Amino acid sequence: MKIEKEPITGNYGKFEIDGVKHRIYWEEAGEGIPLVCLHTAGSDGRQYRALLNDRKILKKFRVIVFDMPWHGKSSPPENSQVGHYKLSTESYISQIMSFIDGLELVKPVVMGCSIGGRIILHLAINFPKKFKALIGLQSAGHLDPYYDISWLHRQDVHGGEVCGGIAYGLMAPTSPENDKFETMWHYMQGGPGIFKGDLFFYKFDGNIGTEIKKIDNSKCPIFLLTGEYDYSATPEETKSLADTIGIEMIKMKNVGHFPMSENPKEFLKYLHPVLEKIN
Amino acid sequence: MFKSLIEKNERRSQLSIMAQYLNTCFMISTVDDEYLISIEKGNVTNVEEGPFVMPSYIFKLTASKNEWLKFLQSTPQPGSHDIIAMLRRKVLKFEGDLHPLMSHLLYFKLLLASLRPTESNREN
Repeated sequence: MKIEKEPITGNYGKFEIDGVKHRIYWEEAGEGIPLVCLHTAGSDGRQYRALLNDRKILKKFRVIVFDMPWHGKSSPPENSQVGHYKLSTESYISQIMSFIDGLELVKPVVMGCSIGGRIILHLAINFPKKFKALIGLQSAGHLDPYYDISWLHRQDVHGGEVCGGIAYGLMAPTSPENDKFETMWHYMQGGPGIFKGDLFFYKFDGNIGTEIKKIDNSKCPIFLLTGEYDYSATPEETKSLADTIGIEMIKMKNVGHFPMSENPKEFLKYLHPVLEKIN
Repeated sequence: MFKSLIEKNERRSQLSIMAQYLNTCFMISTVDDEYLISIEKGNVTNVEEGPFVMPSYIFKLTASKNEWLKFLQSTPQPGSHDIIAMLRRKVLKFEGDLHPLMSHLLYFKLLLASLRPTESNREN
Protein backbone atom coordinates (compact mmCIF):
# COMPACT_ATOMS: atom_id res chain seq x y z
CA MET A 1 0.00 0.00 0.00
CA LYS A 2 1.27 3.47 -0.88
CA ILE A 3 1.24 6.06 1.83
CA GLU A 4 0.51 9.69 1.22
CA LYS A 5 3.57 11.24 2.84
CA GLU A 6 3.29 14.83 3.96
CA PRO A 7 6.12 17.35 3.43
CA ILE A 8 6.35 18.13 7.16
CA THR A 9 9.47 17.58 9.29
CA GLY A 10 9.23 17.35 13.07
CA ASN A 11 12.09 18.46 15.33
CA TYR A 12 12.99 18.69 19.00
CA GLY A 13 15.44 21.22 20.40
CA LYS A 14 16.50 22.70 23.71
CA PHE A 15 15.91 26.43 23.98
CA GLU A 16 16.76 28.76 26.82
CA ILE A 17 13.69 30.81 27.71
CA ASP A 18 14.11 33.37 30.49
CA GLY A 19 17.23 31.52 31.64
CA VAL A 20 15.48 28.14 31.87
CA LYS A 21 16.13 25.23 29.47
CA HIS A 22 13.01 24.12 27.60
CA ARG A 23 12.57 21.12 25.31
CA ILE A 24 10.51 22.42 22.42
CA TYR A 25 8.91 20.59 19.52
CA TRP A 26 8.34 22.24 16.17
CA GLU A 27 7.29 21.28 12.68
CA GLU A 28 8.23 22.90 9.45
CA ALA A 29 7.82 22.67 5.70
CA GLY A 30 8.64 24.79 2.67
CA GLU A 31 11.37 27.23 1.72
CA GLY A 32 11.67 30.99 1.62
CA ILE A 33 10.41 33.69 3.97
CA PRO A 34 10.08 32.27 7.50
CA LEU A 35 6.43 32.19 8.58
CA VAL A 36 6.20 31.36 12.28
CA CYS A 37 2.70 30.26 13.31
CA LEU A 38 1.35 30.47 16.86
CA HIS A 39 -1.40 28.12 18.02
CA THR A 40 -4.36 28.98 20.24
CA ALA A 41 -4.70 28.62 24.02
CA GLY A 42 -4.84 25.03 25.23
CA SER A 43 -4.05 23.49 21.84
CA ASP A 44 -0.90 22.82 19.81
CA GLY A 45 0.75 23.22 16.43
CA ARG A 46 -1.38 20.58 14.71
CA GLN A 47 -3.86 23.37 14.13
CA TYR A 48 -1.66 24.47 11.21
CA ARG A 49 -1.60 21.06 9.49
CA ALA A 50 -3.25 22.44 6.34
CA LEU A 51 -0.83 25.33 6.03
CA LEU A 52 2.10 22.94 6.41
CA ASN A 53 0.69 20.99 3.49
CA ASP A 54 -0.25 23.86 1.20
CA ARG A 55 2.03 23.57 -1.85
CA LYS A 56 1.34 27.10 -3.00
CA ILE A 57 2.48 28.60 0.33
CA LEU A 58 5.40 26.20 0.73
CA LYS A 59 6.94 27.40 -2.55
CA LYS A 60 7.55 30.85 -1.09
CA PHE A 61 7.41 30.45 2.69
CA ARG A 62 9.20 28.32 5.24
CA VAL A 63 6.25 27.55 7.51
CA ILE A 64 7.35 26.84 11.09
CA VAL A 65 5.03 25.90 13.93
CA PHE A 66 6.17 25.28 17.49
CA ASP A 67 4.26 23.82 20.39
CA MET A 68 4.42 26.18 23.35
CA PRO A 69 5.97 24.73 26.53
CA TRP A 70 3.38 22.46 28.27
CA HIS A 71 1.53 22.02 24.96
CA GLY A 72 1.54 19.26 22.34
CA LYS A 73 4.92 17.53 22.24
CA SER A 74 6.84 20.28 24.05
CA SER A 75 7.80 19.47 27.62
CA PRO A 76 7.03 21.47 30.73
CA PRO A 77 10.21 23.12 32.07
CA GLU A 78 12.15 21.38 34.85
CA ASN A 79 10.69 21.40 38.38
CA SER A 80 7.16 22.02 37.12
CA GLN A 81 4.07 21.14 39.14
CA VAL A 82 0.51 20.49 37.99
CA GLY A 83 -1.83 23.39 38.65
CA HIS A 84 0.76 26.16 38.68
CA TYR A 85 0.84 27.04 34.99
CA LYS A 86 -0.06 30.63 34.13
CA LEU A 87 0.95 32.28 30.87
CA SER A 88 2.10 35.86 31.25
CA THR A 89 2.68 38.41 28.50
CA GLU A 90 6.35 38.53 29.35
CA SER A 91 6.88 34.76 29.22
CA TYR A 92 4.88 34.43 25.98
CA ILE A 93 7.03 37.09 24.31
CA SER A 94 10.17 35.36 25.63
CA GLN A 95 9.10 32.01 24.14
CA ILE A 96 8.55 33.52 20.72
CA MET A 97 11.72 35.60 20.67
CA SER A 98 13.84 32.70 22.01
CA PHE A 99 12.44 30.40 19.34
CA ILE A 100 13.11 32.91 16.56
CA ASP A 101 16.64 33.61 17.86
CA GLY A 102 17.31 29.89 18.35
CA LEU A 103 16.45 29.13 14.74
CA GLU A 104 18.34 32.26 13.63
CA LEU A 105 15.35 33.49 11.67
CA VAL A 106 15.83 36.91 10.13
CA LYS A 107 12.79 39.15 9.82
CA PRO A 108 10.19 36.39 9.92
CA VAL A 109 6.49 36.85 9.42
CA VAL A 110 4.63 35.84 12.59
CA MET A 111 1.01 34.73 12.41
CA GLY A 112 -0.91 33.92 15.57
CA CYS A 113 -4.47 32.94 16.37
CA SER A 114 -6.48 33.94 19.44
CA ILE A 115 -3.82 34.27 22.18
CA GLY A 116 -1.42 34.30 19.23
CA GLY A 117 -3.55 37.01 17.64
CA ARG A 118 -3.18 39.01 20.85
CA ILE A 119 0.56 38.52 21.28
CA ILE A 120 1.31 39.76 17.77
CA LEU A 121 -0.07 43.12 18.96
CA HIS A 122 2.47 43.11 21.79
CA LEU A 123 5.18 42.22 19.27
CA ALA A 124 4.04 45.11 17.05
CA ILE A 125 4.27 47.51 19.99
CA ASN A 126 7.63 46.30 21.31
CA PHE A 127 9.65 44.96 18.35
CA PRO A 128 8.13 46.27 15.11
CA LYS A 129 11.41 46.24 13.20
CA LYS A 130 12.14 42.59 13.93
CA PHE A 131 9.36 41.32 11.69
CA LYS A 132 8.61 41.45 7.99
CA ALA A 133 4.90 41.41 8.80
CA LEU A 134 2.50 40.31 11.53
CA ILE A 135 -0.77 38.50 10.94
CA GLY A 136 -3.42 38.35 13.64
CA LEU A 137 -6.20 35.77 13.42
CA GLN A 138 -9.08 36.39 15.78
CA SER A 139 -7.30 39.38 17.29
CA ALA A 140 -8.84 41.60 19.93
CA GLY A 141 -7.11 44.11 22.18
CA HIS A 142 -8.74 42.78 25.31
CA LEU A 143 -11.38 40.35 26.48
CA ASP A 144 -13.51 40.58 29.57
CA PRO A 145 -14.33 37.19 31.10
CA TYR A 146 -17.78 36.01 30.02
CA TYR A 147 -17.82 32.56 31.64
CA ASP A 148 -16.26 31.16 34.78
CA ILE A 149 -12.94 29.67 33.62
CA SER A 150 -12.45 27.78 36.90
CA TRP A 151 -14.56 25.02 35.26
CA LEU A 152 -11.64 24.33 32.94
CA HIS A 153 -9.53 22.91 35.74
CA ARG A 154 -11.16 21.24 38.68
CA GLN A 155 -10.70 17.68 39.80
CA ASP A 156 -14.41 16.80 39.69
CA VAL A 157 -14.71 17.70 35.99
CA HIS A 158 -12.78 15.96 33.21
CA GLY A 159 -10.59 18.71 31.75
CA GLY A 160 -10.47 17.21 28.26
CA GLU A 161 -14.25 16.92 28.08
CA VAL A 162 -14.96 20.47 29.22
CA CYS A 163 -12.16 22.10 27.19
CA GLY A 164 -13.37 20.21 24.10
CA GLY A 165 -16.92 21.36 24.79
CA ILE A 166 -15.83 24.97 25.06
CA ALA A 167 -13.74 24.79 21.87
CA TYR A 168 -16.51 23.08 19.89
CA GLY A 169 -18.91 25.97 20.35
CA LEU A 170 -16.36 28.51 19.14
CA MET A 171 -16.42 26.96 15.68
CA ALA A 172 -18.87 27.73 12.89
CA PRO A 173 -21.79 25.37 12.29
CA THR A 174 -20.81 25.58 8.63
CA SER A 175 -17.27 24.22 9.12
CA PRO A 176 -16.64 20.61 8.06
CA GLU A 177 -17.41 18.17 10.90
CA ASN A 178 -14.14 16.24 10.51
CA ASP A 179 -12.00 19.35 10.86
CA LYS A 180 -14.12 20.55 13.75
CA PHE A 181 -13.72 17.21 15.48
CA GLU A 182 -9.96 17.24 15.05
CA THR A 183 -9.77 20.81 16.36
CA MET A 184 -11.82 19.80 19.38
CA TRP A 185 -9.72 16.66 19.87
CA HIS A 186 -6.56 18.75 20.28
CA TYR A 187 -8.31 20.53 23.14
CA MET A 188 -9.34 17.22 24.65
CA GLN A 189 -5.67 16.20 24.73
CA GLY A 190 -4.38 19.24 26.62
CA GLY A 191 -2.82 18.84 30.07
CA PRO A 192 -4.69 19.69 33.28
CA GLY A 193 -5.01 23.44 33.77
CA ILE A 194 -3.13 24.42 30.61
CA PHE A 195 -6.05 25.95 28.72
CA LYS A 196 -7.04 27.84 31.86
CA GLY A 197 -3.43 28.95 32.40
CA ASP A 198 -3.26 30.31 28.85
CA LEU A 199 -6.48 32.21 29.39
CA PHE A 200 -4.81 34.11 32.21
CA PHE A 201 -2.88 35.84 29.43
CA TYR A 202 -5.90 36.13 27.14
CA LYS A 203 -8.39 37.52 29.64
CA PHE A 204 -6.20 39.34 32.15
CA ASP A 205 -2.46 39.83 31.77
CA GLY A 206 -2.34 40.31 28.01
CA ASN A 207 -5.17 42.82 27.72
CA ILE A 208 -4.12 45.94 25.85
CA GLY A 209 -5.88 49.27 26.21
CA THR A 210 -4.71 52.58 24.83
CA GLU A 211 -1.27 51.13 24.09
CA ILE A 212 -2.77 49.90 20.81
CA LYS A 213 -2.25 53.45 19.56
CA LYS A 214 1.51 52.84 19.71
CA ILE A 215 1.27 50.34 16.86
CA ASP A 216 2.77 51.86 13.74
CA ASN A 217 1.74 49.97 10.64
CA SER A 218 4.42 51.71 8.58
CA LYS A 219 7.18 50.09 10.67
CA CYS A 220 5.71 46.62 10.31
CA PRO A 221 2.66 45.77 8.18
CA ILE A 222 -0.15 44.18 10.16
CA PHE A 223 -2.99 42.09 8.79
CA LEU A 224 -6.05 41.17 10.84
CA LEU A 225 -8.45 38.38 9.83
CA THR A 226 -11.39 37.23 11.94
CA GLY A 227 -14.02 34.54 11.43
CA GLU A 228 -17.62 35.67 11.64
CA TYR A 229 -18.71 32.92 14.05
CA ASP A 230 -16.15 33.78 16.71
CA TYR A 231 -17.82 35.05 19.86
CA SER A 232 -14.57 35.19 21.83
CA ALA A 233 -12.79 37.71 19.63
CA THR A 234 -15.69 39.01 17.57
CA PRO A 235 -15.36 40.67 14.13
CA GLU A 236 -16.62 43.87 15.77
CA GLU A 237 -13.74 43.79 18.26
CA THR A 238 -11.19 43.17 15.51
CA LYS A 239 -12.72 46.02 13.51
CA SER A 240 -12.36 48.38 16.45
CA LEU A 241 -8.72 47.30 16.78
CA ALA A 242 -8.11 47.74 13.04
CA ASP A 243 -9.70 51.21 13.11
CA THR A 244 -7.37 52.25 15.93
CA ILE A 245 -4.33 51.01 14.02
CA GLY A 246 -5.66 52.54 10.81
CA ILE A 247 -5.88 49.38 8.70
CA GLU A 248 -8.64 47.32 7.09
CA MET A 249 -9.70 44.06 8.71
CA ILE A 250 -10.73 40.98 6.80
CA LYS A 251 -13.93 39.31 7.98
CA MET A 252 -13.95 35.63 7.08
CA LYS A 253 -17.33 34.10 6.32
CA ASN A 254 -18.32 30.63 7.50
CA VAL A 255 -15.51 30.20 10.03
CA GLY A 256 -15.19 30.69 13.75
CA HIS A 257 -12.36 30.99 16.26
CA PHE A 258 -9.98 28.43 14.67
CA PRO A 259 -9.99 29.26 10.93
CA MET A 260 -6.77 27.41 10.02
CA SER A 261 -7.93 24.24 11.74
CA GLU A 262 -11.75 24.14 11.63
CA ASN A 263 -12.09 25.08 7.97
CA PRO A 264 -8.67 25.24 6.27
CA LYS A 265 -10.07 25.33 2.75
CA GLU A 266 -12.10 28.44 3.46
CA PHE A 267 -9.29 30.04 5.49
CA LEU A 268 -6.67 29.60 2.76
CA LYS A 269 -8.86 31.56 0.35
CA TYR A 270 -8.38 34.55 2.63
CA LEU A 271 -4.75 33.89 3.57
CA HIS A 272 -3.29 33.45 0.08
CA PRO A 273 -3.85 37.09 -0.99
CA VAL A 274 -2.38 38.32 2.32
CA LEU A 275 0.78 36.25 1.84
CA GLU A 276 1.03 37.43 -1.77
CA LYS A 277 1.04 41.03 -0.52
CA ILE A 278 3.76 40.24 2.03
CA ASN A 279 5.85 38.41 -0.54
CA MET B 1 -40.50 23.93 21.69
CA PHE B 2 -38.42 21.41 23.66
CA LYS B 3 -41.04 18.63 24.00
CA SER B 4 -39.54 16.62 21.16
CA LEU B 5 -36.35 16.00 23.15
CA ILE B 6 -38.19 12.92 24.43
CA GLU B 7 -38.53 11.50 20.92
CA LYS B 8 -35.91 8.95 20.03
CA ASN B 9 -33.76 9.63 17.03
CA GLU B 10 -30.35 8.48 15.87
CA ARG B 11 -28.51 11.63 16.89
CA ARG B 12 -29.84 11.53 20.44
CA SER B 13 -29.25 7.78 20.80
CA GLN B 14 -25.60 8.24 19.85
CA LEU B 15 -25.22 11.00 22.41
CA SER B 16 -26.17 8.90 25.43
CA ILE B 17 -22.74 7.21 25.53
CA MET B 18 -21.19 10.63 26.20
CA ALA B 19 -23.22 10.90 29.39
CA GLN B 20 -23.67 7.31 30.51
CA TYR B 21 -23.25 8.19 34.21
CA LEU B 22 -25.40 11.31 34.07
CA ASN B 23 -28.69 11.38 35.97
CA THR B 24 -30.14 14.86 36.36
CA CYS B 25 -33.14 17.06 35.92
CA PHE B 26 -32.87 20.53 34.40
CA MET B 27 -35.18 23.28 33.31
CA ILE B 28 -35.29 25.24 30.09
CA SER B 29 -37.20 28.48 30.26
CA THR B 30 -38.36 30.70 27.42
CA VAL B 31 -39.54 33.18 30.07
CA ASP B 32 -43.18 32.49 29.16
CA ASP B 33 -42.89 28.70 29.01
CA GLU B 34 -40.94 26.20 31.07
CA TYR B 35 -39.79 22.67 30.33
CA LEU B 36 -38.56 20.22 32.94
CA ILE B 37 -36.24 17.65 31.40
CA SER B 38 -35.17 14.43 33.12
CA ILE B 39 -32.07 12.51 32.06
CA GLU B 40 -31.15 9.02 33.15
CA LYS B 41 -27.89 7.43 32.06
CA GLY B 42 -27.60 9.99 29.29
CA ASN B 43 -31.08 9.37 27.90
CA VAL B 44 -33.91 11.89 28.04
CA THR B 45 -36.60 10.03 29.96
CA ASN B 46 -39.17 12.76 30.49
CA VAL B 47 -40.00 16.26 29.25
CA GLU B 48 -42.73 18.03 31.13
CA GLU B 49 -44.14 21.35 29.99
CA GLY B 50 -45.17 23.93 32.64
CA PRO B 51 -46.61 25.92 34.21
CA PHE B 52 -45.23 24.47 37.43
CA VAL B 53 -46.08 25.31 41.01
CA MET B 54 -42.98 23.92 42.76
CA PRO B 55 -40.59 22.65 40.11
CA SER B 56 -37.50 20.89 41.39
CA TYR B 57 -34.42 20.87 39.19
CA ILE B 58 -30.64 21.01 39.37
CA PHE B 59 -29.97 23.82 36.91
CA LYS B 60 -31.89 26.12 34.63
CA LEU B 61 -31.22 27.74 31.24
CA THR B 62 -33.27 30.86 30.53
CA ALA B 63 -33.49 32.78 27.25
CA SER B 64 -36.36 34.48 25.46
CA LYS B 65 -38.42 32.42 23.01
CA ASN B 66 -37.02 34.49 20.17
CA GLU B 67 -33.43 33.70 21.19
CA TRP B 68 -34.19 29.98 21.47
CA LEU B 69 -35.81 30.08 18.03
CA LYS B 70 -32.65 31.64 16.61
CA PHE B 71 -30.56 28.93 18.31
CA LEU B 72 -32.76 26.22 16.82
CA GLN B 73 -32.35 27.32 13.17
CA SER B 74 -30.79 24.65 10.96
CA THR B 75 -27.82 26.97 10.40
CA PRO B 76 -27.92 29.51 13.20
CA GLN B 77 -26.44 32.96 12.79
CA PRO B 78 -23.20 33.92 14.57
CA GLY B 79 -23.87 34.52 18.25
CA SER B 80 -26.90 32.21 18.24
CA HIS B 81 -25.09 29.02 17.31
CA ASP B 82 -23.94 27.99 20.78
CA ILE B 83 -25.16 28.35 24.36
CA ILE B 84 -21.87 29.94 25.48
CA ALA B 85 -22.18 32.39 22.57
CA MET B 86 -25.62 33.29 23.93
CA LEU B 87 -24.14 33.63 27.41
CA ARG B 88 -21.52 35.99 25.99
CA ARG B 89 -24.30 38.15 24.47
CA LYS B 90 -26.07 38.05 27.85
CA VAL B 91 -29.25 36.66 26.28
CA LEU B 92 -28.99 33.32 28.10
CA LYS B 93 -28.67 32.79 31.82
CA PHE B 94 -27.23 29.72 33.55
CA GLU B 95 -28.50 29.19 37.10
CA GLY B 96 -28.30 26.56 39.82
CA ASP B 97 -25.77 23.78 40.32
CA LEU B 98 -23.90 23.88 37.01
CA HIS B 99 -21.77 20.80 37.65
CA PRO B 100 -23.88 18.39 35.55
CA LEU B 101 -23.93 20.93 32.71
CA MET B 102 -20.25 21.85 32.73
CA SER B 103 -19.02 18.29 33.24
CA HIS B 104 -21.10 17.23 30.20
CA LEU B 105 -20.91 20.46 28.24
CA LEU B 106 -20.51 18.96 24.79
CA TYR B 107 -23.32 16.47 25.48
CA PHE B 108 -25.76 19.25 26.41
CA LYS B 109 -24.71 21.37 23.43
CA LEU B 110 -25.30 18.48 21.05
CA LEU B 111 -28.51 17.44 22.80
CA LEU B 112 -30.02 20.89 22.28
CA ALA B 113 -28.63 21.08 18.76
CA SER B 114 -30.36 17.78 17.99
CA LEU B 115 -33.61 19.76 17.88
CA ARG B 116 -32.42 21.64 14.81
CA PRO B 117 -33.89 20.63 11.46
CA THR B 118 -31.86 17.77 10.05
CA GLU B 119 -31.61 18.77 6.39
CA SER B 120 -28.24 20.45 7.01
CA ASN B 121 -26.89 17.25 8.57
CA ARG B 122 -24.87 19.36 10.93
CA GLU B 123 -24.64 18.73 14.63
CA ASN B 124 -24.08 22.22 15.99
